[in-house]
Amino acid sequence: MTGSTGVLGALAAHLLGAGGLVLPHLNYSTILPELILLGGMLVILAASALSPRPLPTEVYATATVGLGIASLIASLVLWRDVTSHGAFTAIARSIDVDGFAVFFLVVVSCILIVAPMFAAGYLRREGITGCEYYVLALISGSGAMFMASANDLILIFLGLEILSIPLYVLAGLDHRREASGEAAMKYFVLGAFSSAIFVYGIALTYGATGSTNLAEIGAFLSRNVITSNGVLLGGLALLLVGFAFKVAAVPFHMWTPDVYQGAPTPATGFMAAMAKAGGFAALLRVFVSTFPTLRTSWQPVVWVLAILTLVLGAVVAIVQNDVKRMLAYSSINHAGFVLLGLEAATARGIAGSLYYVFVYSLLVLGSFAVVAAVGGNGDADHDISRYRGLGRRRPVLAVGFAILLLAQAGAPFTTGFFSKFYVVEAAVAAHSYALAVIAMGSAGVAAFFYLRVVFVMFSDVGIAGASDVSRGGGEIARAGAVAAEVREQDATLLGGAGASAVATLVAPAYVAAPELAPEGTPSEPEVSVSPWVTTGLVLCVGATLVFGIWPQPLVDFAHQATLIF
Amino acid sequence: MIVGSSAFGPIVLTGITQGQRAFPYLTTMVLVPVGVALLVALLPKGSTWAIRAAGMAGSLGVLGIAAAVLDQFQSGDGGYQMVSAHSWVAPFGLSWTLGVDGVSLFLVLMTAVLFPIALAGATERTNPKAFTVWVLLLEAGCIGSFLSLDLLLFFLFFETTLVPVYFIIGGWGHERRGYAATKFFVYTFAASAFMLVGILALVFIHQGQTGVTTFDIRQLANTHLSGTADVLLFCSFTAAFAVKAPIFPFHTWSPDAYGEAPAAGSVLLAGVMAKLGTYGIVRFDLGLFPHAVVVLAPLLLSLGVIGIIYGGIVAAVQRDLKRLVAYSSLAHLGFIVVGAFALTGEALSGSVLQMVNHGLYTTALFLLIAMIYRRRGTFSIPKLKGLQGSAPVMAGVFTVVMLASIGVPGLNGFVGEFLILAGTFLTHRWWAVVATAGIILAAVYLLWAYQQVFHGKQEPDGDEAPFAEMTWREGLVLAPLVGLIVFLGVYPQPLLQRITPSVDAIVLHLEQSAHPKIPLAGQPVTSTVAARLDPYPSAVTVSISSSSGSRRHTRTNVKGAK
Amino acid sequence: MGGATVVAAATVPDALTFAIAAVICVGGAFGVVLMRSPVHAALSLVATLFGIAVLFVEEDAQFLAAVQVIVYTGAIVVLFLFVIMLLGVDRKERVLADVFKGQRVVALVLGLMVLAEVVLLGRSRWTTGAHSATGSLEGSGSNVAKLGRALFTAYLVPFEVTSALLIVAVVGAVVLARRPDHRPVEPIEEVEVPLVPGPDDDPFGAVGTDEDAGGSTAPDETASTVPEHASSEPEHEPAEVPST
Repeated sequence: MTGSTGVLGALAAHLLGAGGLVLPHLNYSTILPELILLGGMLVILAASALSPRPLPTEVYATATVGLGIASLIASLVLWRDVTSHGAFTAIARSIDVDGFAVFFLVVVSCILIVAPMFAAGYLRREGITGCEYYVLALISGSGAMFMASANDLILIFLGLEILSIPLYVLAGLDHRREASGEAAMKYFVLGAFSSAIFVYGIALTYGATGSTNLAEIGAFLSRNVITSNGVLLGGLALLLVGFAFKVAAVPFHMWTPDVYQGAPTPATGFMAAMAKAGGFAALLRVFVSTFPTLRTSWQPVVWVLAILTLVLGAVVAIVQNDVKRMLAYSSINHAGFVLLGLEAATARGIAGSLYYVFVYSLLVLGSFAVVAAVGGNGDADHDISRYRGLGRRRPVLAVGFAILLLAQAGAPFTTGFFSKFYVVEAAVAAHSYALAVIAMGSAGVAAFFYLRVVFVMFSDVGIAGASDVSRGGGEIARAGAVAAEVREQDATLLGGAGASAVATLVAPAYVAAPELAPEGTPSEPEVSVSPWVTTGLVLCVGATLVFGIWPQPLVDFAHQATLIF
Repeated sequence: MIVGSSAFGPIVLTGITQGQRAFPYLTTMVLVPVGVALLVALLPKGSTWAIRAAGMAGSLGVLGIAAAVLDQFQSGDGGYQMVSAHSWVAPFGLSWTLGVDGVSLFLVLMTAVLFPIALAGATERTNPKAFTVWVLLLEAGCIGSFLSLDLLLFFLFFETTLVPVYFIIGGWGHERRGYAATKFFVYTFAASAFMLVGILALVFIHQGQTGVTTFDIRQLANTHLSGTADVLLFCSFTAAFAVKAPIFPFHTWSPDAYGEAPAAGSVLLAGVMAKLGTYGIVRFDLGLFPHAVVVLAPLLLSLGVIGIIYGGIVAAVQRDLKRLVAYSSLAHLGFIVVGAFALTGEALSGSVLQMVNHGLYTTALFLLIAMIYRRRGTFSIPKLKGLQGSAPVMAGVFTVVMLASIGVPGLNGFVGEFLILAGTFLTHRWWAVVATAGIILAAVYLLWAYQQVFHGKQEPDGDEAPFAEMTWREGLVLAPLVGLIVFLGVYPQPLLQRITPSVDAIVLHLEQSAHPKIPLAGQPVTSTVAARLDPYPSAVTVSISSSSGSRRHTRTNVKGAK
Repeated sequence: MGGATVVAAATVPDALTFAIAAVICVGGAFGVVLMRSPVHAALSLVATLFGIAVLFVEEDAQFLAAVQVIVYTGAIVVLFLFVIMLLGVDRKERVLADVFKGQRVVALVLGLMVLAEVVLLGRSRWTTGAHSATGSLEGSGSNVAKLGRALFTAYLVPFEVTSALLIVAVVGAVVLARRPDHRPVEPIEEVEVPLVPGPDDDPFGAVGTDEDAGGSTAPDETASTVPEHASSEPEHEPAEVPST
């Protein structure tokens, strides 16, 4: 062995010339969360390949949740390091270990803890076996983590690809629906296109500054005053376009509605949360920490992007009758809010954006989980009429969904309010009054379509226009029918939630569908919720309410994350 | 690199006064309904009786605390009392700061009175559990709004009230409830978007001047604002309040919402929620933007007067009893706005008093209409006829309430309207003259409606049973309202005595801040003018003695006006 | 920084190599366009790409030359050939007919633009960072060695992370290529929306998709399919369909 090493060493010395090779110190602990995810993913793959018969999906889900928790712990350990020692770079300055990065590590870990629960219920219901969803989710999460902690444009690009490619596949996971394959194809083509643009941006930036390392680029720009910076601005513009594609900012949002609608619903939720987390992590870092000297150049562009995103997302969502598609447009609107923090380009703005991304991740995951549950077997019909009377059939589910939607609308005493408040506050502090007003106005418009769903859920009549049919006697008769219905869903569902929180594995994996709706409404689609989904929803809704009433810890977290930059 | 948790500058909490160690009445008053609402939410759906009892107990508990607050309130003190201040979200500068003064005291009391009545008078039979929960949450939101001394906390409560109302209208309303509920929510939500931006801008201007991040209105009131900033901020705040109140061009949601809401919903919307808007004008517009108030007062006065006349005219042509009351509400809120922007002591006192009065008689009117609807199933005036014959007691109660609404002396509506008109006359004569016409209009449409509905001969309509007389239960619900209407009409002194010092403090602040720019023409000495014009000499004498005593604000006011 | 760079005068072998390679390149390019058989066209492309690789070697860009051969000649053209073979070598293409209208004009314009860009970039010097765009790399050693050094030092993490990308590619390919043969496809029953005529011939219609990718403002229902449960759920009535 020593001989061969010697030979290799000699060969290396020969090849490298006199300089020798000083390998960078590999500080694995700095990328431990990523390694946990990737390693765990490989173990899951191996287990699924080696096991004699297909393992139930819950096993994989449990493993994924466990990996998420492990990476969360690893992230929190990193957070402790960072808060006690300050930010540092590791492994040849490719990896940034700072509050900002760790914040996103935590966000991604949380997404990975919650998302598998929703997926488990869905995959079980749809009869989709195998470990693919979980494996892809884990890889995607590691990509987002790399994007967040990358200190190098190349690494950001790789992270972007590792994040995106599993998402393309996830979009096409459901073989039975053509829409799913179509979504995957569309997402793949447009995503690859945006990646190409992004790489071109990296190339131009490298050409202009001589480095792909963010710190070196920043140092170069602060040392030198560039007189003709056309190439650099071109690179910057292409980078922005690449990111805008990923986070679905208008006018680079075209893929969003179709892909969100076509993809299997839990995958949509995951996609919305994860792509936004990873995309915004890199976007914020690159623009705010690397190109602050060019702020006057990119700020107006971001301003325009933010306004377009806010307005179009909210306005187009109004006319959607498909809840899934409506949520897709609403996610565009949310992206606009996060851009608000970037436009402010202050510590407060960044903190606001971080907070928003965290809050939004949980909200969107929970929302799409409910959509998946209500969508029913086949996952094809998400029309708003399916939600009619949900408040009576599944009160707890409906209340949870209502809370999530109201939080997305920015209702007080939910995390949604403080997230909007945080970014708008930053915008006002940066004197972007017009932007702040437009943002809040778009929140008002957005409230309309969230409330429409809420209203339909808690009304037996359906959407406003349909109510004209029933008058007088009908009203009374229906009221009587409602009153007569004493089916008590609350107790069973709450019980299920408690049980599953304690012993997810022991509890039956599937709660039988409730009996059909009472007479007079024979065509109501049944909605079944597995304890997995319930547990996840309890987590999402709980976080929404708890951190809505007591936002201090999360706000402090986001704020400190930007201080230790 | 690492900075402590205090994120955006030092957080200063002031106003920890004598109320701190005492029992936290105000905090309790906000939290009790929330707690009871949670309790109700946990009760099984079927136990209707327990749900109703718990809801009633909760709202009565609030009333009890409010009574204790009234007892503890030191009349003659124009400042905030029983202040409790706790930091909540330090990085934002958000604090849980509650306090009560003469302006908010009676609005809180009125809220505490109206909620049990609304619960008792509610005709909603379906899903009482959800209904009770929403009403209790709404009560917490309203009381919190009235008590908040922290702008952001106020905004939170102000926005919180939307959600319960949305569900109350949407869940238990009439035919077009979905439309009405959504319109209400989106209008008010979008309008308060401007206020949030305004709040933040004000806070950052204040922070730039003092280095302190705070939403405490007592500190923000001392911010120096440039003329443009002042006017813009004023507009952003007023946008929210004008929609909520509503003031004339921003009222289009209100007839729909009032009309489609269930009885309890209309009561709470018109009785309590509308006061959030007018209270906001008095507390925040007048308190924070004195220059802008002086500059824009004629505009707002004009809008108020237009609201009075427009509301009256439109009410006069309504064929729907409930919409009629909704439009009459618009007219009465016009009076309150006029009183607020007349910028004299008694007009402002009248304005605050009128908020309470309007809450009482509008509630009674909506409840009476709901009783008629329960018997006849319609709000249509032409379809109702001759109810007096079989229901004389109800007709009598209706008469009293209606006369109060018109503003007949001896009933509570008169006191407020008179103070408003008298105070306005001094500074803005022609507005007062036009507004007076509104009273005549009110007499026209209300008497006409009364005549249509109660007079005439009841035509037996085949299958319909004869119109039933008011039940004991209904009588019990209405009794406190009628009692208060008469009591406050005869003896408003206890209210004025407590309202006046706070109002004087507001006027003084306005005068001191706005004086360098535009002197308030003919700013009267509050007490003497009031004594000259007020028909209740005894009441005002007491208020003079209390306000000309040892209280700093009032004394300065008297001096400054000489 | 590139000011000190001296471009060595071209020697005769250099010039010869360049000339031959250039002829190969241009000839190959003509071959791609003019050959009737697609296989021949693809092979001509190989010649062009190979010529470019030779040009890279001459420019001392050995690594780039290797990449050129491996990636373009080795992978991409082989992929082309696969596709051509799978589609059938014998298929006659109507080469002279334009598939897209105005194809030639666009191609010409784009080509001229690229030419202009190359000339522009080649003649001017950028005001750029540490490295000159027209000079040679600094330091000693071949550029292969430098790249290798960079991969194992400055770009160690990206280099290793690439492995994750490869895993993704494998898993993704397997997932997408796998047929769900072990599980019967559940029957999907369609309910027509009465208001909007859906495509009758296509059983899957436009299942909840929108033809318009540009964020249309119209309601999106074209057809709505309601899956029938294998169990006992009754069929949905058309009344369930949203009121538009």
